[in-house]
Amino acid sequence: MKPTDASSTGRLSRRDFFKGLGTTAVAAAAAQAESVAQELQKLNAEKVLGPGPVPVTLKVNGKTHRLELEPRVTLLDALRNHLGLTGPKEGCDRAACGACTVWLDGVAIYACQKLAIDAQGHEITTVEGLTPDGRLTPVQQAFVERDALQCGYCTPGFVMSVSALLRKKPKPTVDDVLHACAGNVCRCGTHPRVLEAALIAAGVRPVSMTRTEVISHV
Amino acid sequence: MKPFEYATALTVESARQLAGANGHYLAGGNDLLGRLKDDITEASRLVNIKAIPGLNRIEPGPQTWRIGALVTIAQIEDHPEIRRVFPGLHQAAAEVGSQQIRNVATLGGNLAQHSRCWYYRHRDIQCLKKRGRICYALEGDNRYHALFTGNVCISPVVSNLAIALTALDATAVVWRDGQERRMTMAELYELAWDNPTAHHSLRPGDLLLRVEIPTVRPRSAYLQISDKHSFDWALVSCAAAARIENGRIHNARIALGCVSPVPHQVTAANQFLEGKNLDEATADQVADLLLAGAQPQEHNAYKIPMARALIRRTLLQLRG
Ligand SMILES: Cc1cc2nc3c(=O)[nH]c(=O)nc-3n(C[C@H](O)[C@H](O)[C@H](O)COP(=O)(O)OP(=O)(O)OC[C@H]3O[C@@H](n4cnc5c(N)ncnc54)[C@H](O)[C@@H]3O)c2cc1C
Ligand code: SF4
Ligand code: FES
Ligand code: FES
Repeated sequence: MKPTDASSTGRLSRRDFFKGLGTTAVAAAAAQAESVAQELQKLNAEKVLGPGPVPVTLKVNGKTHRLELEPRVTLLDALRNHLGLTGPKEGCDRAACGACTVWLDGVAIYACQKLAIDAQGHEITTVEGLTPDGRLTPVQQAFVERDALQCGYCTPGFVMSVSALLRKKPKPTVDDVLHACAGNVCRCGTHPRVLEAALIAAGVRPVSMTRTEVISHV
Repeated sequence: MKPFEYATALTVESARQLAGANGHYLAGGNDLLGRLKDDITEASRLVNIKAIPGLNRIEPGPQTWRIGALVTIAQIEDHPEIRRVFPGLHQAAAEVGSQQIRNVATLGGNLAQHSRCWYYRHRDIQCLKKRGRICYALEGDNRYHALFTGNVCISPVVSNLAIALTALDATAVVWRDGQERRMTMAELYELAWDNPTAHHSLRPGDLLLRVEIPTVRPRSAYLQISDKHSFDWALVSCAAAARIENGRIHNARIALGCVSPVPHQVTAANQFLEGKNLDEATADQVADLLLAGAQPQEHNAYKIPMARALIRRTLLQLRG
């Protein structure tokens, strides 16, 4: 891997980067993450960065983090291995299992199939950031009540998918939940319980929904 | 992933320049990052095109709708007017991958995605499509492969949106050599018919700007059958679009996906439909015309009856 080289091809050194941000933005960085992100985007635009580590600013669970990452680092890698947020899990690393599901500006995405550098300027939310005080959300509470997990590896991803759905559609149908969670897979087979938990959290459990009906849907 | 450089383009022209000879445009990254992780594609540089203004808009119009190449598949799925005006496009979008994929995947990336042939996607296999010497699917496991091809490669086009847009007779607008170039959906893929290394007709540096969809076909439908009920590629897909007057069908177009390197259309089938009553007998005759000359491989002959069923269901859905 080549070291970061500021001299040629318009690549930025760390110093240039902070110079470029402008003193106002740097001073108010924590409070004004958005303007920092905007400036950063303008500054980074049309410049060739990397392949060595470059400054990357991520806003995760309301906090702004400045990292030095190679452009090839995925958002999942940045969250888990650089920011210590291990809620998002690595399953397939190929956009196929949902264990890594986080929110980008409030909608569910696979953190494994997004570059960290490409997530700049957006609000990232991991399962750790769903509640500020570490208490359980109604969705998480319903997962506990319905025992909607076994090993738990897929659970943060499911919680993020279900919670994203309920933000968009507070009273979902069974089909809505299945559609929203189709991109999350559970090797322990908790899908029917997850469906129940989602409906309970939304307060829409249909009376006619027996367990058999639930399973036949999945 | 191997290391690469990264740049964010602010204009179409700078995207092209930044991409140079061995750079790749990065939209949602669902396809490209998967290929980079498996060393299917080499990239010295990724050029993020998502900051180019104007490419992320859905613009309705009385005669033509314009949908920008950066519009996400979720935006297409969730757009209430698209659901009403182009129901087939809505259905095709709703069946793409999962919610997480649709939230990031773009129209342009969906149309320009590479083959899903498992030999092509295998990091250790250098098949014809990767400029190797042979096609491994011909003698291997070809259950997901094509019934038609104009060359040796039997990897089919798998983009849901391509099939729906073909039935709707959309035009793809591409930035090539400093100007806009308009292509029919057939033209957008025709190179893959002849050339085993092609996935579509875009050349390196070509940038899809938008698709334009005429509103002359108010009825449209898209259906697919997959191994799994959800979050799965189609084994076969079918899209149809038309205008229906007094129970008779006009200006119809029908296309099949996952059976050919290009969206599979037969002019005679479209012509045959003109003025017909939409019933099962008509649908069966259309299926005969669409499937004439199909060349099943060892493991994919099931696609023929599956396509027949889908043609019937899709056409009958046009009745509303
Ligand atoms: C698990 C899984 C399941 C899937 N299931 C389906 C499915 O059922 N149906 C389906 O249709 N698809 C499916 N897909 C494919 C997915 O829809 C595509 O990968 C996605 O749409 C690509 O869009 P993107 O914006 O992420 O593209 P990217 O990965 O960013 O780009 C894809 C390719 O297109 C090029 N490109 C992107 N934008 C442009 C542009 N504007 N002009 C020129 N070139 C461009 C890129 O350089 C790259 O080569 C699935 C993918 C995965 C990972
Ligand atoms: S079908 Fe095409 S992509 Fe698949 S092995 Fe044959 S040449 Fe390669
Ligand atoms: S780890 Fe991202 S989808 Fe599996
Ligand atoms: S609880 Fe074990 S993977 Fe889902």
